[in-house]
Amino acid sequence: MDVTGLGFGPGALALIALYLVSMIGVGWLGRMRRQSNSMVDFYLAGRSMGFTVLLLTLYATQYSGNTMFGYTGKSYRIGFEWTVAVLFMFSIIVGYLLFAPRLVAVARKADFITPGDYIRHRFGSSALTLLATIVMIYALGNYTLAQLKAMGAAVEGITDGGVPSAYGIIALAVIMVIYETLGGMRSVAWTDVIQGVVLLTGFTILLFVIPGLGGGLTRVVETLTVAEPAMVTAPSLETCNTWISFVLLLGCGAAIYPQAIQRLYASRNVRVLKRSLAVMAFLPLTTTLVAMICGLTGRVVIPGIEGVATDQVLARLCALVMQQSAAGYWLVVVIFAAALAALMSTADSALLSISSMFTRDIYQVHLRPHSTEAELTFVGKVVSWVVVAALVVIAIGTDKTLVRLLELKFEVLIQIVPCFFLGLYWKRLGANVALLAMLAGLAVALGLTAVGVTKVYGFHAGVVGLGLNFLICAMGTKLMPDHGRERLETST
Amino acid sequence: MSGNQEGKSDGPQGTTVDPRPADEPRSHGIVWIVYVLLYLVAIPWYWPAGYRGPLVLGLPLWVAVSLAATLTLALWTAYVIFRYWDEGEA
Repeated sequence: MDVTGLGFGPGALALIALYLVSMIGVGWLGRMRRQSNSMVDFYLAGRSMGFTVLLLTLYATQYSGNTMFGYTGKSYRIGFEWTVAVLFMFSIIVGYLLFAPRLVAVARKADFITPGDYIRHRFGSSALTLLATIVMIYALGNYTLAQLKAMGAAVEGITDGGVPSAYGIIALAVIMVIYETLGGMRSVAWTDVIQGVVLLTGFTILLFVIPGLGGGLTRVVETLTVAEPAMVTAPSLETCNTWISFVLLLGCGAAIYPQAIQRLYASRNVRVLKRSLAVMAFLPLTTTLVAMICGLTGRVVIPGIEGVATDQVLARLCALVMQQSAAGYWLVVVIFAAALAALMSTADSALLSISSMFTRDIYQVHLRPHSTEAELTFVGKVVSWVVVAALVVIAIGTDKTLVRLLELKFEVLIQIVPCFFLGLYWKRLGANVALLAMLAGLAVALGLTAVGVTKVYGFHAGVVGLGLNFLICAMGTKLMPDHGRERLETST
Repeated sequence: MSGNQEGKSDGPQGTTVDPRPADEPRSHGIVWIVYVLLYLVAIPWYWPAGYRGPLVLGLPLWVAVSLAATLTLALWTAYVIFRYWDEGEA
Protein backbone atom coordinates (compact mmCIF):
# COMPACT_ATOMS: atom_id res chain seq x y z
CA MET A 1 0.00 0.00 0.00
CA ASP A 2 1.45 3.32 -1.08
CA VAL A 3 -0.41 6.29 0.28
CA THR A 4 1.49 9.08 -1.45
CA GLY A 5 -0.36 12.38 -1.37
CA LEU A 6 -1.85 11.76 2.06
CA GLY A 7 0.62 13.72 4.16
CA PHE A 8 -1.10 14.77 7.40
CA GLY A 9 -0.31 18.00 9.27
CA PRO A 10 1.31 18.03 12.72
CA GLY A 11 -2.05 18.32 14.52
CA ALA A 12 -3.47 15.21 12.85
CA LEU A 13 -0.23 13.27 13.35
CA ALA A 14 -0.17 14.23 17.02
CA LEU A 15 -3.77 13.05 17.39
CA ILE A 16 -2.99 9.70 15.77
CA ALA A 17 0.17 9.32 17.87
CA LEU A 18 -1.86 10.04 21.00
CA TYR A 19 -4.44 7.48 19.95
CA LEU A 20 -1.76 4.84 19.39
CA VAL A 21 0.06 5.53 22.66
CA SER A 22 -3.27 5.44 24.53
CA MET A 23 -3.43 1.76 23.58
CA ILE A 24 -0.57 1.18 26.05
CA GLY A 25 -2.69 2.86 28.74
CA VAL A 26 -5.57 0.51 27.93
CA GLY A 27 -3.12 -2.39 28.10
CA TRP A 28 -2.07 -1.21 31.55
CA LEU A 29 -5.71 -1.10 32.69
CA GLY A 30 -6.04 -4.67 31.44
CA ARG A 31 -3.09 -5.65 33.60
CA MET A 32 -4.67 -3.97 36.64
CA ARG A 33 -7.76 -6.16 36.23
CA ARG A 34 -5.70 -9.35 36.24
CA GLN A 35 -7.27 -12.05 38.43
CA SER A 36 -4.30 -14.42 38.57
CA ASN A 37 -0.92 -15.08 36.99
CA SER A 38 -2.24 -17.99 34.98
CA MET A 39 -2.55 -18.95 31.34
CA VAL A 40 -6.35 -18.90 31.39
CA ASP A 41 -6.27 -15.35 32.72
CA PHE A 42 -3.54 -14.18 30.33
CA TYR A 43 -4.74 -15.89 27.15
CA LEU A 44 -8.52 -16.01 27.71
CA ALA A 45 -9.09 -13.02 30.03
CA GLY A 46 -10.24 -15.50 32.69
CA ARG A 47 -13.17 -16.55 30.44
CA SER A 48 -14.93 -13.35 31.46
CA MET A 49 -15.76 -11.58 28.19
CA GLY A 50 -19.19 -9.97 28.11
CA PHE A 51 -21.30 -9.16 25.04
CA THR A 52 -19.86 -5.77 24.04
CA VAL A 53 -16.22 -6.76 24.45
CA LEU A 54 -16.68 -10.11 22.73
CA LEU A 55 -18.60 -8.63 19.80
CA LEU A 56 -16.10 -5.82 19.18
CA THR A 57 -13.03 -8.02 19.61
CA LEU A 58 -14.51 -10.56 17.16
CA TYR A 59 -15.28 -7.72 14.73
CA ALA A 60 -11.92 -5.93 15.04
CA THR A 61 -10.05 -9.22 14.73
CA GLN A 62 -12.01 -10.50 11.75
CA TYR A 63 -11.91 -7.33 9.67
CA SER A 64 -8.30 -6.49 8.94
CA GLY A 65 -6.50 -3.80 6.99
CA ASN A 66 -7.00 -6.08 4.01
CA THR A 67 -10.75 -5.41 4.18
CA MET A 68 -10.09 -1.70 3.86
CA PHE A 69 -7.31 -1.63 1.27
CA GLY A 70 -7.18 -5.10 -0.31
CA TYR A 71 -10.93 -5.47 -0.86
CA THR A 72 -11.20 -1.93 -2.22
CA GLY A 73 -8.41 -2.71 -4.68
CA LYS A 74 -10.01 -6.02 -5.64
CA SER A 75 -13.40 -4.44 -6.45
CA TYR A 76 -11.53 -1.75 -8.41
CA ARG A 77 -10.03 -4.57 -10.51
CA ILE A 78 -13.01 -6.92 -10.96
CA GLY A 79 -16.08 -4.78 -10.20
CA PHE A 80 -19.30 -6.24 -8.78
CA GLU A 81 -17.94 -9.79 -8.97
CA TRP A 82 -16.42 -8.92 -5.59
CA THR A 83 -19.93 -9.03 -4.09
CA VAL A 84 -18.74 -12.52 -3.17
CA ALA A 85 -16.71 -10.91 -0.37
CA VAL A 86 -19.91 -9.93 1.44
CA LEU A 87 -21.14 -13.51 1.14
CA PHE A 88 -17.92 -15.19 2.26
CA MET A 89 -17.44 -12.87 5.25
CA PHE A 90 -20.99 -13.75 6.31
CA SER A 91 -20.27 -17.46 5.75
CA ILE A 92 -17.73 -17.45 8.59
CA ILE A 93 -20.69 -17.35 11.00
CA VAL A 94 -22.26 -20.38 9.29
CA GLY A 95 -18.88 -22.07 9.72
CA TYR A 96 -19.11 -21.46 13.47
CA LEU A 97 -22.57 -23.06 13.60
CA LEU A 98 -21.08 -26.29 12.24
CA PHE A 99 -18.84 -26.87 15.25
CA ALA A 100 -18.90 -24.09 17.85
CA PRO A 101 -21.88 -25.24 19.97
CA ARG A 102 -20.25 -28.59 20.72
CA LEU A 103 -16.67 -27.28 20.91
CA VAL A 104 -17.62 -24.61 23.42
CA ALA A 105 -19.42 -27.17 25.61
CA VAL A 106 -16.31 -29.41 25.66
CA ALA A 107 -13.89 -26.48 26.03
CA ARG A 108 -15.60 -25.11 29.10
CA LYS A 109 -15.51 -28.49 30.82
CA ALA A 110 -11.96 -29.45 29.84
CA ASP A 111 -10.47 -25.93 30.27
CA PHE A 112 -9.07 -25.57 26.76
CA ILE A 113 -6.86 -22.59 26.04
CA THR A 114 -5.67 -23.31 22.50
CA PRO A 115 -7.15 -25.13 19.49
CA GLY A 116 -4.36 -27.67 20.04
CA ASP A 117 -5.88 -28.50 23.44
CA TYR A 118 -9.00 -29.72 21.66
CA ILE A 119 -7.10 -31.79 19.09
CA ARG A 120 -5.01 -33.43 21.82
CA HIS A 121 -8.12 -34.06 23.93
CA ARG A 122 -10.13 -35.51 21.04
CA PHE A 123 -7.51 -37.58 19.24
CA GLY A 124 -4.87 -38.20 21.94
CA SER A 125 -2.15 -37.83 19.30
CA SER A 126 1.00 -35.75 19.78
CA ALA A 127 1.90 -35.96 16.09
CA LEU A 128 -1.50 -34.69 14.91
CA THR A 129 -1.56 -31.91 17.50
CA LEU A 130 1.99 -30.83 16.66
CA LEU A 131 1.33 -30.76 12.89
CA ALA A 132 -1.90 -28.78 13.39
CA THR A 133 -0.12 -26.35 15.72
CA ILE A 134 2.72 -25.79 13.25
CA VAL A 135 0.20 -25.17 10.43
CA MET A 136 -1.72 -22.69 12.59
CA ILE A 137 1.43 -20.84 13.70
CA TYR A 138 2.61 -20.65 10.07
CA ALA A 139 -0.74 -19.28 8.87
CA LEU A 140 -0.96 -16.74 11.68
CA GLY A 141 2.67 -15.70 11.19
CA ASN A 142 1.87 -14.86 7.57
CA TYR A 143 -1.27 -13.06 8.61
CA THR A 144 0.61 -10.91 11.13
CA LEU A 145 3.36 -10.24 8.60
CA ALA A 146 0.87 -8.84 6.09
CA GLN A 147 -0.54 -6.50 8.75
CA LEU A 148 2.95 -5.29 9.74
CA LYS A 149 3.88 -4.49 6.15
CA ALA A 150 0.64 -2.55 5.68
CA MET A 151 1.25 -0.66 8.95
CA GLY A 152 4.64 0.50 7.68
CA ALA A 153 3.19 1.69 4.38
CA ALA A 154 0.38 3.54 6.16
CA VAL A 155 2.75 5.37 8.52
CA GLU A 156 5.06 6.30 5.64
CA GLY A 157 2.09 7.62 3.67
CA ILE A 158 0.45 9.76 6.36
CA THR A 159 3.81 11.34 7.24
CA ASP A 160 4.49 11.96 3.53
CA GLY A 161 7.65 9.85 3.75
CA GLY A 162 8.85 11.65 6.90
CA VAL A 163 8.76 8.35 8.79
CA PRO A 164 10.11 5.53 6.59
CA SER A 165 8.10 2.31 6.43
CA ALA A 166 10.65 0.35 8.49
CA TYR A 167 10.42 2.80 11.43
CA GLY A 168 6.63 2.74 11.19
CA ILE A 169 6.62 -1.05 11.41
CA ILE A 170 8.97 -1.02 14.40
CA ALA A 171 7.06 1.71 16.27
CA LEU A 172 3.62 0.14 15.87
CA ALA A 173 4.91 -3.38 16.56
CA VAL A 174 6.52 -2.19 19.80
CA ILE A 175 3.31 -0.44 20.93
CA MET A 176 1.35 -3.58 20.10
CA VAL A 177 3.60 -6.01 21.91
CA ILE A 178 3.83 -3.75 24.97
CA TYR A 179 0.08 -3.62 25.53
CA GLU A 180 -0.23 -7.28 24.68
CA THR A 181 2.37 -8.46 27.18
CA LEU A 182 0.97 -6.12 29.85
CA GLY A 183 -2.42 -7.75 30.08
CA GLY A 184 -2.66 -10.51 27.46
CA MET A 185 -6.13 -11.20 26.05
CA ARG A 186 -7.80 -8.70 28.41
CA SER A 187 -5.63 -5.86 27.08
CA VAL A 188 -5.96 -7.02 23.48
CA ALA A 189 -9.75 -7.31 23.77
CA TRP A 190 -10.12 -3.90 25.42
CA THR A 191 -7.98 -2.23 22.78
CA ASP A 192 -10.09 -4.11 20.23
CA VAL A 193 -13.18 -2.43 21.69
CA ILE A 194 -11.71 0.99 20.93
CA GLN A 195 -10.33 -0.16 17.59
CA GLY A 196 -13.65 -1.80 16.68
CA VAL A 197 -15.56 1.44 17.37
CA VAL A 198 -13.01 3.45 15.35
CA LEU A 199 -13.27 0.90 12.53
CA LEU A 200 -17.08 1.05 12.45
CA THR A 201 -16.89 4.85 12.46
CA GLY A 202 -14.34 4.81 9.64
CA PHE A 203 -16.50 2.59 7.42
CA THR A 204 -19.57 4.74 8.12
CA ILE A 205 -17.64 7.85 7.03
CA LEU A 206 -16.42 6.05 3.91
CA LEU A 207 -19.98 5.14 2.95
CA PHE A 208 -21.13 8.76 3.13
CA VAL A 209 -18.05 10.44 1.67
CA ILE A 210 -16.53 8.28 -1.08
CA PRO A 211 -19.48 7.53 -3.45
CA GLY A 212 -20.10 11.30 -3.61
CA LEU A 213 -16.76 11.71 -5.39
CA GLY A 214 -18.24 9.85 -8.36
CA GLY A 215 -21.61 11.66 -8.22
CA GLY A 216 -23.32 8.95 -6.17
CA LEU A 217 -23.56 5.18 -6.56
CA THR A 218 -26.15 5.25 -9.36
CA ARG A 219 -24.00 7.53 -11.52
CA VAL A 220 -20.91 5.42 -10.78
CA VAL A 221 -22.68 2.27 -11.97
CA GLU A 222 -24.17 3.98 -15.05
CA THR A 223 -20.71 5.31 -16.00
CA LEU A 224 -19.15 1.86 -15.61
CA THR A 225 -21.98 0.28 -17.63
CA VAL A 226 -21.02 2.43 -20.61
CA ALA A 227 -17.24 2.42 -20.20
CA GLU A 228 -16.57 -1.07 -18.80
CA PRO A 229 -19.72 -3.23 -18.87
CA ALA A 230 -17.84 -6.31 -17.59
CA MET A 231 -17.47 -4.54 -14.23
CA VAL A 232 -21.21 -4.47 -13.60
CA THR A 233 -22.58 -7.61 -15.27
CA ALA A 234 -23.30 -11.06 -13.84
CA PRO A 235 -20.33 -13.47 -13.74
CA SER A 236 -19.77 -16.65 -15.75
CA LEU A 237 -20.49 -20.13 -14.40
CA GLU A 238 -16.78 -20.78 -13.76
CA THR A 239 -16.64 -17.58 -11.71
CA CYS A 240 -19.64 -18.87 -9.75
CA ASN A 241 -17.49 -21.93 -8.93
CA THR A 242 -14.98 -19.49 -7.49
CA TRP A 243 -17.77 -17.94 -5.41
CA ILE A 244 -18.53 -21.40 -3.98
CA SER A 245 -14.82 -21.96 -3.40
CA PHE A 246 -14.50 -18.61 -1.57
CA VAL A 247 -17.49 -19.49 0.63
CA LEU A 248 -15.84 -22.80 1.55
CA LEU A 249 -12.34 -21.34 1.94
CA LEU A 250 -13.35 -18.43 4.17
CA GLY A 251 -16.44 -19.97 5.76
CA CYS A 252 -14.35 -22.88 7.01
CA GLY A 253 -10.89 -21.31 7.23
CA ALA A 254 -11.69 -18.07 9.05
CA ALA A 255 -14.03 -19.85 11.47
CA ILE A 256 -11.16 -22.01 12.71
CA TYR A 257 -8.65 -19.19 12.94
CA PRO A 258 -6.98 -19.90 16.31
CA GLN A 259 -7.61 -16.37 17.61
CA ALA A 260 -11.30 -16.77 16.69
CA ILE A 261 -11.54 -20.15 18.45
CA GLN A 262 -9.89 -18.65 21.54
CA ARG A 263 -12.56 -15.93 21.58
CA LEU A 264 -15.19 -18.68 21.63
CA TYR A 265 -13.40 -20.12 24.66
CA ALA A 266 -13.13 -16.69 26.33
CA SER A 267 -16.83 -15.78 26.35
CA ARG A 268 -18.40 -15.41 29.78
CA ASN A 269 -21.15 -17.87 28.85
CA VAL A 270 -22.91 -19.38 25.84
CA ARG A 271 -25.63 -16.73 25.82
CA VAL A 272 -23.06 -13.95 25.34
CA LEU A 273 -21.42 -15.89 22.52
CA LYS A 274 -24.74 -16.52 20.76
CA ARG A 275 -25.69 -12.84 20.86
CA SER A 276 -22.26 -11.78 19.55
CA LEU A 277 -22.33 -14.22 16.63
CA ALA A 278 -25.90 -13.23 15.74
CA VAL A 279 -24.83 -9.58 15.40
CA MET A 280 -21.62 -10.53 13.56
CA ALA A 281 -23.76 -12.15 10.82
CA PHE A 282 -24.92 -8.67 9.71
CA LEU A 283 -21.59 -6.81 9.82
CA PRO A 284 -20.34 -7.75 6.31
CA LEU A 285 -23.16 -5.55 5.02
CA THR A 286 -21.80 -2.53 6.91
CA THR A 287 -18.13 -3.24 6.28
CA THR A 288 -17.24 -5.40 3.27
CA LEU A 289 -20.01 -3.93 1.12
CA VAL A 290 -18.75 -0.40 1.87
CA ALA A 291 -15.22 -1.38 0.79
CA MET A 292 -16.61 -2.73 -2.49
CA ILE A 293 -18.57 0.45 -3.21
CA CYS A 294 -15.42 2.53 -2.55
CA GLY A 295 -13.42 0.41 -5.02
CA LEU A 296 -16.06 0.84 -7.74
CA THR A 297 -16.17 4.59 -7.15
CA GLY A 298 -12.39 4.64 -7.50
CA ARG A 299 -12.67 2.93 -10.89
CA VAL A 300 -14.69 5.92 -12.17
CA VAL A 301 -12.91 8.73 -10.32
CA ILE A 302 -9.30 7.61 -10.77
CA PRO A 303 -9.20 5.12 -13.66
CA GLY A 304 -6.06 3.57 -15.08
CA ILE A 305 -4.46 2.09 -11.96
CA GLU A 306 -3.22 -1.45 -12.52
CA GLY A 307 -1.81 -4.47 -10.65
CA VAL A 308 -0.78 -4.23 -7.02
CA ALA A 309 -1.05 -0.43 -7.20
CA THR A 310 -4.84 -0.86 -7.07
CA ASP A 311 -4.47 -1.39 -3.32
CA GLN A 312 -3.72 2.37 -3.21
CA VAL A 313 -7.20 3.22 -4.49
CA LEU A 314 -8.76 3.99 -1.11
CA ALA A 315 -5.77 6.11 -0.09
CA ARG A 316 -5.96 8.08 -3.32
CA LEU A 317 -9.68 8.63 -2.89
CA CYS A 318 -9.01 9.84 0.64
CA ALA A 319 -6.40 12.26 -0.71
CA LEU A 320 -9.13 13.74 -2.95
CA VAL A 321 -11.51 14.07 0.00
CA MET A 322 -8.80 15.83 2.00
CA GLN A 323 -8.32 18.45 -0.69
CA GLN A 324 -12.00 19.39 -0.74
CA SER A 325 -12.46 20.88 2.73
CA ALA A 326 -11.17 21.04 6.30
CA ALA A 327 -13.97 18.71 7.34
CA GLY A 328 -12.87 16.27 4.64
CA TYR A 329 -9.32 16.43 5.96
CA TRP A 330 -10.37 15.45 9.48
CA LEU A 331 -12.70 12.74 8.20
CA VAL A 332 -9.71 11.20 6.42
CA VAL A 333 -7.72 11.41 9.64
CA VAL A 334 -10.44 9.30 11.31
CA ILE A 335 -10.46 6.90 8.34
CA PHE A 336 -6.71 6.37 8.68
CA ALA A 337 -6.97 5.96 12.42
CA ALA A 338 -9.52 3.25 11.55
CA ALA A 339 -7.07 1.69 9.10
CA LEU A 340 -4.34 1.52 11.73
CA ALA A 341 -6.93 0.16 14.19
CA ALA A 342 -7.88 -2.58 11.73
CA LEU A 343 -4.25 -3.55 11.18
CA MET A 344 -3.23 -3.51 14.83
CA SER A 345 -6.31 -5.27 16.19
CA THR A 346 -5.85 -8.11 13.74
CA ALA A 347 -2.10 -8.39 14.28
CA ASP A 348 -2.23 -8.27 18.09
CA SER A 349 -4.83 -11.05 18.25
CA ALA A 350 -2.83 -13.25 15.89
CA LEU A 351 0.34 -12.57 17.84
CA LEU A 352 -1.25 -13.48 21.17
CA SER A 353 -2.57 -16.66 19.62
CA ILE A 354 0.87 -17.63 18.29
CA SER A 355 2.33 -17.01 21.74
CA SER A 356 -0.32 -19.20 23.41
CA MET A 357 0.10 -22.06 20.95
CA PHE A 358 3.88 -22.10 21.22
CA THR A 359 3.77 -21.95 25.02
CA ARG A 360 0.93 -24.38 25.56
CA ASP A 361 1.25 -26.88 22.71
CA ILE A 362 5.01 -26.95 22.17
CA TYR A 363 6.84 -25.64 25.26
CA GLN A 364 4.61 -27.17 27.92
CA VAL A 365 3.89 -30.44 26.14
CA HIS A 366 7.25 -31.18 24.55
CA LEU A 367 9.85 -29.21 26.52
CA ARG A 368 8.75 -28.51 30.12
CA PRO A 369 5.71 -30.61 31.07
CA HIS A 370 5.90 -29.69 34.75
CA SER A 371 6.31 -25.95 34.40
CA THR A 372 4.21 -23.68 36.60
CA GLU A 373 1.49 -21.35 35.36
CA ALA A 374 3.65 -18.31 36.21
CA GLU A 375 6.57 -19.74 34.23
CA LEU A 376 4.32 -20.47 31.24
CA THR A 377 2.87 -16.96 31.28
CA PHE A 378 6.38 -15.50 31.41
CA VAL A 379 7.52 -17.71 28.53
CA GLY A 380 4.45 -16.62 26.56
CA LYS A 381 5.43 -12.97 26.93
CA VAL A 382 9.02 -13.66 25.87
CA VAL A 383 7.70 -15.58 22.85
CA SER A 384 5.57 -12.57 21.86
CA TRP A 385 8.63 -10.29 21.79
CA VAL A 386 10.75 -12.85 19.90
CA VAL A 387 8.02 -13.51 17.31
CA VAL A 388 7.39 -9.80 16.78
CA ALA A 389 11.13 -9.16 16.38
CA ALA A 390 11.42 -11.95 13.80
CA LEU A 391 8.33 -10.80 11.88
CA VAL A 392 9.49 -7.17 11.89
CA VAL A 393 12.84 -8.24 10.39
CA ILE A 394 11.03 -10.27 7.71
CA ALA A 395 8.50 -7.48 7.04
CA ILE A 396 11.26 -4.93 6.51
CA GLY A 397 13.45 -7.14 4.34
CA THR A 398 11.09 -9.52 2.52
CA ASP A 399 12.32 -10.73 -0.84
CA LYS A 400 9.57 -10.33 -3.44
CA THR A 401 10.00 -13.93 -4.59
CA LEU A 402 8.78 -15.04 -1.18
CA VAL A 403 5.52 -13.17 -1.46
CA ARG A 404 3.37 -16.05 -2.73
CA LEU A 405 4.69 -18.36 -0.01
CA LEU A 406 3.93 -15.73 2.57
CA GLU A 407 0.44 -15.20 1.17
CA LEU A 408 -0.49 -18.81 1.90
CA LYS A 409 -2.80 -18.71 4.88
CA PHE A 410 -6.25 -20.13 4.35
CA GLU A 411 -5.00 -22.71 1.85
CA VAL A 412 -3.03 -24.48 4.59
CA LEU A 413 -5.13 -23.53 7.62
CA ILE A 414 -8.26 -25.00 6.06
CA GLN A 415 -6.69 -28.48 6.18
CA ILE A 416 -7.34 -28.54 9.95
CA VAL A 417 -11.08 -28.15 9.40
CA PRO A 418 -11.95 -31.92 9.42
CA CYS A 419 -10.41 -32.27 12.90
CA PHE A 420 -13.09 -29.87 14.14
CA PHE A 421 -16.04 -30.30 11.79
CA LEU A 422 -15.80 -34.11 11.74
CA GLY A 423 -13.82 -34.85 14.90
CA LEU A 424 -16.49 -33.39 17.14
CA TYR A 425 -19.20 -35.57 15.59
CA TRP A 426 -17.66 -38.70 14.08
CA LYS A 427 -16.72 -40.95 16.98
CA ARG A 428 -14.93 -43.44 14.69
CA LEU A 429 -12.58 -40.90 13.10
CA GLY A 430 -9.16 -41.94 14.38
CA ALA A 431 -5.97 -39.90 14.85
CA ASN A 432 -3.98 -41.74 12.17
CA VAL A 433 -6.68 -41.23 9.55
CA ALA A 434 -7.03 -37.55 10.47
CA LEU A 435 -3.24 -37.14 10.28
CA LEU A 436 -2.97 -38.87 6.90
CA ALA A 437 -5.88 -36.80 5.55
CA MET A 438 -4.33 -33.55 6.78
CA LEU A 439 -0.95 -34.40 5.23
CA ALA A 440 -2.62 -35.27 1.91
CA GLY A 441 -4.63 -32.03 1.95
CA LEU A 442 -1.51 -29.99 2.68
CA ALA A 443 0.44 -31.79 -0.05
CA VAL A 444 -2.24 -31.00 -2.65
CA ALA A 445 -2.67 -27.36 -1.56
CA LEU A 446 1.08 -26.66 -1.42
CA GLY A 447 1.90 -28.80 -4.46
CA LEU A 448 -0.64 -27.11 -6.74
CA THR A 449 0.50 -23.69 -5.52
CA ALA A 450 4.17 -24.60 -6.06
CA VAL A 451 3.54 -25.51 -9.70
CA GLY A 452 1.55 -22.31 -10.24
CA VAL A 453 -1.93 -23.88 -10.27
CA THR A 454 -3.83 -21.68 -7.85
CA LYS A 455 -7.28 -22.77 -9.05
CA VAL A 456 -8.83 -25.89 -10.59
CA TYR A 457 -12.12 -25.22 -12.47
CA GLY A 458 -12.45 -22.06 -10.38
CA PHE A 459 -11.82 -23.84 -7.05
CA HIS A 460 -8.85 -22.71 -4.92
CA ALA A 461 -5.96 -25.14 -4.41
CA GLY A 462 -6.69 -25.24 -0.67
CA VAL A 463 -10.32 -26.21 -1.31
CA VAL A 464 -9.20 -29.01 -3.67
CA GLY A 465 -6.87 -30.21 -0.88
CA LEU A 466 -9.72 -29.99 1.61
CA GLY A 467 -11.88 -32.14 -0.67
CA LEU A 468 -9.25 -34.88 -0.63
CA ASN A 469 -8.81 -34.37 3.11
CA PHE A 470 -12.55 -34.96 3.74
CA LEU A 471 -12.56 -37.94 1.34
CA ILE A 472 -9.71 -39.67 3.17
CA CYS A 473 -11.40 -38.98 6.52
CA ALA A 474 -14.64 -40.54 5.24
CA MET A 475 -12.99 -43.57 3.64
CA GLY A 476 -10.59 -44.07 6.53
CA THR A 477 -13.40 -43.93 9.06
CA LYS A 478 -15.31 -46.54 7.06
CA LEU A 479 -12.35 -48.87 6.41
CA MET A 480 -10.34 -48.36 9.61
CA PRO A 481 -12.83 -47.17 12.26
CA ASP A 482 -11.43 -46.17 15.63
CA HIS A 483 -13.69 -47.84 18.21
CA GLY A 484 -11.93 -46.46 21.30
CA ARG A 485 -14.03 -43.34 21.58
CA GLU A 486 -17.24 -45.12 20.61
CA ARG A 487 -16.77 -47.70 23.40
CA LEU A 488 -16.18 -44.86 25.84
CA GLU A 489 -19.42 -43.10 24.87
CA THR A 490 -21.62 -46.22 24.89
CA SER A 491 -20.30 -47.62 28.17
CA THR A 492 -21.46 -44.67 30.24
CA MET B 1 -2.31 -29.56 29.72
CA SER B 2 -5.24 -28.72 31.86
CA GLY B 3 -6.91 -31.96 30.95
CA ASN B 4 -4.25 -33.79 32.95
CA GLN B 5 -3.92 -31.16 35.61
CA GLU B 6 -7.62 -31.05 36.33
CA GLY B 7 -8.01 -34.82 36.25
CA LYS B 8 -10.49 -34.61 33.42
CA SER B 9 -10.79 -36.54 30.20
CA ASP B 10 -7.68 -36.22 28.06
CA GLY B 11 -8.30 -38.27 24.97
CA PRO B 12 -10.29 -41.19 23.70
CA GLN B 13 -9.19 -43.30 26.62
CA GLY B 14 -10.23 -40.65 29.16
CA THR B 15 -12.59 -41.16 32.03
CA THR B 16 -15.46 -38.84 31.16
CA VAL B 17 -17.73 -38.35 28.18
CA ASP B 18 -17.57 -35.01 26.41
CA PRO B 19 -20.56 -32.80 27.16
CA ARG B 20 -22.78 -31.65 24.32
CA PRO B 21 -25.48 -29.00 24.07
CA ALA B 22 -29.05 -30.23 24.53
CA ASP B 23 -29.79 -28.91 21.04
CA GLU B 24 -27.62 -27.51 18.26
CA PRO B 25 -28.23 -26.21 14.70
CA ARG B 26 -26.23 -29.02 13.10
CA SER B 27 -28.85 -31.63 14.07
CA HIS B 28 -31.76 -29.94 12.25
CA GLY B 29 -32.11 -30.75 8.57
CA ILE B 30 -34.42 -27.78 7.98
CA VAL B 31 -31.63 -25.39 9.01
CA TRP B 32 -29.34 -26.65 6.26
CA ILE B 33 -32.06 -27.00 3.63
CA VAL B 34 -32.89 -23.30 4.08
CA TYR B 35 -29.18 -22.45 3.97
CA VAL B 36 -28.70 -24.33 0.69
CA LEU B 37 -31.75 -22.62 -0.85
CA LEU B 38 -30.59 -19.15 0.22
CA TYR B 39 -27.02 -19.79 -1.00
CA LEU B 40 -28.49 -20.89 -4.34
CA VAL B 41 -30.09 -17.45 -4.58
CA ALA B 42 -27.06 -15.54 -3.26
CA ILE B 43 -24.64 -17.10 -5.80
CA PRO B 44 -25.54 -15.57 -9.20
CA TRP B 45 -25.27 -18.76 -11.30
CA TYR B 46 -28.76 -18.41 -12.76
CA TRP B 47 -28.27 -15.02 -14.49
CA PRO B 48 -27.03 -15.00 -18.08
CA ALA B 49 -23.34 -14.03 -18.20
CA GLY B 50 -23.17 -10.36 -19.19
CA TYR B 51 -26.59 -9.49 -17.69
CA ARG B 52 -26.87 -6.27 -15.64
CA GLY B 53 -30.59 -5.56 -15.31
CA PRO B 54 -32.20 -2.41 -13.91
CA LEU B 55 -30.61 -0.61 -10.98
CA VAL B 56 -32.07 -1.20 -7.52
CA LEU B 57 -30.85 1.36 -4.94
CA GLY B 58 -27.99 2.07 -7.34
CA LEU B 59 -27.01 -1.61 -7.65
CA PRO B 60 -27.43 -3.91 -10.68
CA LEU B 61 -30.39 -6.24 -10.18
CA TRP B 62 -28.26 -9.38 -9.86
CA VAL B 63 -26.14 -7.72 -7.14
CA ALA B 64 -29.23 -6.45 -5.31
CA VAL B 65 -30.72 -9.97 -5.35
CA SER B 66 -27.45 -11.49 -4.10
CA LEU B 67 -27.18 -8.94 -1.27
CA ALA B 68 -30.86 -9.39 -0.35
CA ALA B 69 -30.21 -13.14 -0.11
CA THR B 70 -27.17 -12.45 2.09
CA LEU B 71 -29.30 -10.25 4.36
CA THR B 72 -31.89 -13.04 4.54
CA LEU B 73 -29.08 -15.49 5.35
CA ALA B 74 -28.01 -13.23 8.23
CA LEU B 75 -31.60 -13.01 9.53
CA TRP B 76 -31.99 -16.80 9.25
CA THR B 77 -28.67 -17.29 11.06
CA ALA B 78 -29.75 -15.05 13.93
CA TYR B 79 -33.01 -17.01 14.18
CA VAL B 80 -31.17 -20.36 14.07
CA ILE B 81 -28.73 -19.28 16.76
CA PHE B 82 -31.49 -18.34 19.19
CA ARG B 83 -33.92 -21.12 18.22
CA TYR B 84 -31.69 -24.18 17.85
CA TRP B 85 -28.57 -23.56 19.99
CA ASP B 86 -29.48 -24.67 23.49
CA GLU B 87 -27.39 -23.27 26.33
CA GLY B 88 -27.87 -26.31 28.55
CA GLU B 89 -26.16 -29.71 28.29
CA ALA B 90 -27.76 -32.95 27.16
